[in-house]
Amino acid sequence: MGNKTKVAIIDDEKLAQDIVANYLKAHEDIEIIAKCSNGFEGIKIINEQKPDIVFLDIQMPKINGFEMLELLDETPVIIFSTAFDQYALKAFEVNATDYLLKPYSQERFNEALSKAIIQLKNKDKYNKNIQSLISHLDEKPEYLDRVVVKDKQKISIIPIDDIKYLEAQDDYVMLNTSHGKLLKQKTMKYFERHLNPKDFVRIHRSYIVKSDFIKQIELFEKESYRAILKDESKLPISKTGYDKLKNFFNQ
Amino acid sequence: MINPFINSTNRFSIYFFIWVVITLVQIFTLNVILELDLGYAITDSIVFNVLYLGIGLSLWYPTRFITFENYSLLKIFLNHTVAAIVTSGFWIFLGYFILDKIFNIDGINREFLSSSLIWRFFIGILFYSIIVSLNYVIIYYTNFQEKILKESELRALIKESELKTLKYQINPHFIFNSLNSISSLTLSDPKRAQEMTIKLSSFLRNTLSKNENLKHKLSDEIKNVKLYLDIEKIRFEDRFELVEDPIEDCDSIEVPSMILQPLFENAIKHGVYESIEKVSIRLSCNIEDNYLKITVENSFDPDSVSKKGEGIGLVNIQNRLKLIYNQENLLTIRKTGNIFKANIYIPLEGGKYSG
Repeated sequence: MGNKTKVAIIDDEKLAQDIVANYLKAHEDIEIIAKCSNGFEGIKIINEQKPDIVFLDIQMPKINGFEMLELLDETPVIIFSTAFDQYALKAFEVNATDYLLKPYSQERFNEALSKAIIQLKNKDKYNKNIQSLISHLDEKPEYLDRVVVKDKQKISIIPIDDIKYLEAQDDYVMLNTSHGKLLKQKTMKYFERHLNPKDFVRIHRSYIVKSDFIKQIELFEKESYRAILKDESKLPISKTGYDKLKNFFNQ
Repeated sequence: MINPFINSTNRFSIYFFIWVVITLVQIFTLNVILELDLGYAITDSIVFNVLYLGIGLSLWYPTRFITFENYSLLKIFLNHTVAAIVTSGFWIFLGYFILDKIFNIDGINREFLSSSLIWRFFIGILFYSIIVSLNYVIIYYTNFQEKILKESELRALIKESELKTLKYQINPHFIFNSLNSISSLTLSDPKRAQEMTIKLSSFLRNTLSKNENLKHKLSDEIKNVKLYLDIEKIRFEDRFELVEDPIEDCDSIEVPSMILQPLFENAIKHGVYESIEKVSIRLSCNIEDNYLKITVENSFDPDSVSKKGEGIGLVNIQNRLKLIYNQENLLTIRKTGNIFKANIYIPLEGGKYSG
């Protein structure tokens, strides 16, 4: 019993969960430990029960499949299953093992499962790369409209419009929002790429600011400027940052 | 363009009639005022006027080729001056020749004829000017009408193509997700799989065929929407419910086809897709001051922040209504708390339902 491979199914449609369960009947060495119908349940189950393989839908209420992955302590082997083909590239960027397009056959399903089992056996090797792989790539970035953050047990979904500015903090980025400060495990580079340049400007190595939150730009010392924000906080502006701002406001 | 006086018998009759009048006036002038004998007055008038009737028809060709677009005003003026002199000269020479050689005019009539050549020359130029001006007016009037016709044809074409681009399009994800549900049901519940296949087929058939028609009855529109919701119900089970107010009064009113479908798809997309709670969708309609008002309301999760794809369907509805009914603001939307409400107003013709 204990040697069985543990599988979790995360999909908001019951019939979509059922077909995975049905296809798994042919595999006796696999045990379904949970079926979840949204990302919140998914995070809880994965963090608590540590399944080996997760079948994951992308479009779900509250947080989508990708956002759920960002919030996991440890990433299991992931097989995406979705009707949307436009996420395939992104799925492989987050190191998904396979990408099943709904509806799929038993044969196609088996193929994905075998790949997952092979990957599972080599997991140690595979795990080392995953975190670094998650954070880069993207051929053409899609601009974010929200960011999900986990603070202890609480998951917050922050609309991009609520963010005032971002500040680099070691391996994290501090999001300064209208409701307080939150830490997100991403790089400044990631945010610079995924925030709409029409709204956000990187004014300094450590700061990205929402343009309409800047109240004024003042000469601070000789040849050096700083930005005064609407909440009176003052942020340094680097030389390249100043050029970017100038370009931004000239447009 | 063909000579407008030969082209239509109607116009030729008018042209001919004018010449008859001129001939009669001339007979009267020669006989009564200048006291020439009637026989001569008639012969003279008929010969000269029949000649100009013929010459006048041929003046169409110089007008046709000396156009304002291709020549400067000075050139046009010079061309026509020369043509008028030549035409008039040719005319009086031919008239004089016929009267002299064929009718053997002599005595007082012959004296009169010789002395009248100079004023006949100026009359010839006057005729030339009148006919040429008339020809120009006809050319410009015809061109103007053609332009108006072409413009209205073009407008109709633009409208048609605009309506085509705004046409409802089936969301492919809906189809693939439905097919996945069917695939799943074939294993667990074949009877329901069959049911769903039939519903999906009916929906696709309706949607594909109805999309070609501009309008259909509201009851047909609602029937198709319900088919859609039935399919989504199989996918989402009890994650949503449809509350429907009675619609008997509005049943047979014509509405643009597939005009409600995007509203229900939005309700599913922004309501059901994004919410863990059960979503309620409400449909109602009533008649309000010459408008049929159709309301679609749905609850949604106010914390959901996804904005992707929001509004495109709604903008399409707005534009379609504007194109079809030539009125603005036939779609209004309002978000209050966790309720999203869309009203569609269909203008009723001639206040038939105004009661």
